[in-house]
Amino acid sequence: MAALLRADFTTLWRNRRSFRLVLIVPLIILISWKGLIDKLGGVFVLSSCITIGLTSIGLMGYSNSIARDRDRGVFQRLRVGPVSAWTIMISRLSVQIAMIVLMTVLVFVVGYFVDHIQISPAGYAAGLLMSMLGGAVYLGLGQAIVGRIKNPDTVNSTTRLVYFVFIMIGMFGEFGVLGEVIEKLVIWSPYGVVRKVLAASLAPATWSLETTWALLASIGYTAVFVILGVKWFKWESK
Amino acid sequence: MPDPILEVKELNVSYGAFQAVKDVSFGVYGGEIFGLLGPNGAGKTSTLSAVEGLLHPVSGTVTVAGFDTREKPLHARANMGVQLQATSFQPELTIAEIIRLFASIYGVDLQDDAVKRKLAEISLEEAAGKKISQLSGGQQQRVSLVISTIHDPQLVLLDEPTTGLDPQSRRQLWERMEHFRNNGHAVLLTTHSMEEAEAVCDRIAIIDHGRIIAIDTPEALIEKHRHDPEVLKVVRKGKVTLEDVFIGLTGTAVRP
Repeated sequence: MAALLRADFTTLWRNRRSFRLVLIVPLIILISWKGLIDKLGGVFVLSSCITIGLTSIGLMGYSNSIARDRDRGVFQRLRVGPVSAWTIMISRLSVQIAMIVLMTVLVFVVGYFVDHIQISPAGYAAGLLMSMLGGAVYLGLGQAIVGRIKNPDTVNSTTRLVYFVFIMIGMFGEFGVLGEVIEKLVIWSPYGVVRKVLAASLAPATWSLETTWALLASIGYTAVFVILGVKWFKWESK
Repeated sequence: MPDPILEVKELNVSYGAFQAVKDVSFGVYGGEIFGLLGPNGAGKTSTLSAVEGLLHPVSGTVTVAGFDTREKPLHARANMGVQLQATSFQPELTIAEIIRLFASIYGVDLQDDAVKRKLAEISLEEAAGKKISQLSGGQQQRVSLVISTIHDPQLVLLDEPTTGLDPQSRRQLWERMEHFRNNGHAVLLTTHSMEEAEAVCDRIAIIDHGRIIAIDTPEALIEKHRHDPEVLKVVRKGKVTLEDVFIGLTGTAVRP
């Protein structure tokens, strides 16, 4: 396991373009929204940026790396060795969880020093914990996409499309720009529930019954995506 | 006679309604190079995949060094070294990193000096810091073979290892196969090259339409079938070769 983890972290580090993209997008949004903090609130901005980062990691990072390595036969080469399929996947997921932690901490740091967003220590701790739960929703969605689609180029274009739809409809829908119906749909979409849970965890005093429903919805989305993703997944692309 | 290191018994593999492997049985012994030959789509790769544990057979058993590949898959795989058709290593890692990764997976502790020695054995000591894509096809195959045998496995599976290699690289690979055999390893080789099968295999099995249709030493197969009308029809230059026997037994039609 340690050897696999080392190899997977090295691979992630050497794929610097993807590594940077996943981290930079939420930070750019965080910095560019500096002027909106008084209007939207620091917690809303932080939770939105973390949600966008989680979407990037689950869709662009995880699913694309799995699709690419499956197509190259990397998994088949590992599977003919004395290593179980679960060990291979746990190693891959561990790398993504580390990315989630890094991205969340960077958002907190940049939010504090650049945007001057201050929340309680409990908020930071709960936010970090909930970002991992939110990450599970998007890693599950990435798994479902890479399970359903075998061709790595199609996986790449599909995840980009889903990412774009999530971010655009998610952000503008929540602002009410796209109408009331879309706004309600967005609130209970994977984007909306994750953002809501994150926002409440960053300000624990604001946790409400609706947040608990959002938390349950996040767990439900994760379960559905993971079950479908595991069921559909094939280790080779042919 | 000792127990075979690889024993395949009444193996059946299906893909939906299509049965790719039908009641295939054979054994590969220590100190033997065993060739599995067949036209495209005959069932070679399916048989090999079942041995490697990459697919689950419908029925039948595969044992490697006494371990059933279904009941004790990790034990079975720990006793085999596999060279797949394509070299499929992480392109972001260096050759030294890939060697160390697979050594760790097989429970072998390799320090830098040992990695260098392994690379020196295949005349690639300068390649430690290179990526796999920076090596030629022959060099990639040599690295792949080093990795496949890094844990000194009892069984070595080589899936068309010399495809695309120049004659020098192919000869070097043959010598390594013979080295394994001489050290008591069992080697299972799939190949489309009858010249290769004749040159290195102690025994061969010809598989067609999922069934083994002949199994013996190359010389015995030639001797047994040299007067078959189908073989005589395809003989060139008057001398019966293993390729003539192969085509005589499997037909002249080109397989998709």
